Amino acid sequence: MKKLMLAVLSLTLAGGATAQVKPEDAIKFRQSAYATMAWSMARIKMNVEGTYNKEEVVKAATVIQAIANSGMGALYLPGTDKGKGWEETRVKPELFTNKEGVGKVAMAFNKEANEMAKVAASGDVAAVKEQFGKLGGTCKGCHDDFKVKK
Amino acid sequence: MNRTRHRLWDLPTRLFHWLLVLAVAAAIISGQLGGNLIVWHGRIGLLIVGLIVFRLLWGVLGSTYARFAHFFPTPAKIKVYLRGEWRQPGHNPLGALSVFAVLALVAFQAISGLFANDDIAFNGPLYDLVGRDLSNRLSGLHHLASNALYALIAIHLAAIAFYGRVKKNNLVKPMITGWREGEGEDAQGGGLPALILALILALAAVYGASGAWLAEPPAPPPAAETPGW
Repeated sequence: MKKLMLAVLSLTLAGGATAQVKPEDAIKFRQSAYATMAWSMARIKMNVEGTYNKEEVVKAATVIQAIANSGMGALYLPGTDKGKGWEETRVKPELFTNKEGVGKVAMAFNKEANEMAKVAASGDVAAVKEQFGKLGGTCKGCHDDFKVKK
Repeated sequence: MNRTRHRLWDLPTRLFHWLLVLAVAAAIISGQLGGNLIVWHGRIGLLIVGLIVFRLLWGVLGSTYARFAHFFPTPAKIKVYLRGEWRQPGHNPLGALSVFAVLALVAFQAISGLFANDDIAFNGPLYDLVGRDLSNRLSGLHHLASNALYALIAIHLAAIAFYGRVKKNNLVKPMITGWREGEGEDAQGGGLPALILALILALAAVYGASGAWLAEPPAPPPAAETPGW
């Protein structure tokens, strides 16, 4: 997992290198990034609902913020609307055609992810809980339009 | 008989109906908005489980016009209705079809929701019983069936409007007051013991659906053991 995260990180930081990523790898990196964010979201939720540990929430929020700012859009290479990474991709073809719509949900996510990191650093549990909902809402915003339901 | 009105819908049936209206509306709104409201979507789902189970029991234990046996839509009854010769109080045969369709669909939504996940951070209370793959499939069906539910709601409202405007038959008022204008037998049965029994069983169903009986996940290891990296 760690190796993969490093790979995702170095890949996206390198910018130009993304052009060379193989379609299958691109889908894998996408799926890994979402899985890592799912871990982080569950981690924040656990802290909000149970005993609150500020450090845990800061760590989780930092991960989400990093991925949100990693330029993951580069992984949606032409031709990766279909294909298998760890599993069959669930992206809708609309993601590749509705550039404006994607931009909107992506920017909304980016904004709330950055805000999440800020709020996490404040340690204000009520604010974290509220921001968690807003952040989750932006996940949904993209899933509704661009992710295939099974 | 020269009475001008009779008892049609008993109080539990009416309460069920209007609570279901509120609950379904709240479920649709919370489901559409998402975010932290998804937690309420789950709670409302549990309320709906209770309402549906109550109604199913009340369809046997309730008073005359609330009973399934009274309004079960047989082909013969539907023919009579379509010929325009249906005069009886209570659900007409087509309306009865709609009742069963709504009950079945809302029940499906409530049950599939118990096992669903929102792909973000929310899992239905019985998610752990089925695993990720089946949960994903049930979530997909949950979304898909919501469209059918919208269609049924639209038909339901259109039928009420049609009855009110064209046939000059106000269906809403009896569902509020319980009284129906015109001659007919008063509803019988559905007394307090039946009500208490139905309520207890409905509460038991909500408890079962809530997953409160599931074993608690093992406590996370103490923070001191968490590695520094």
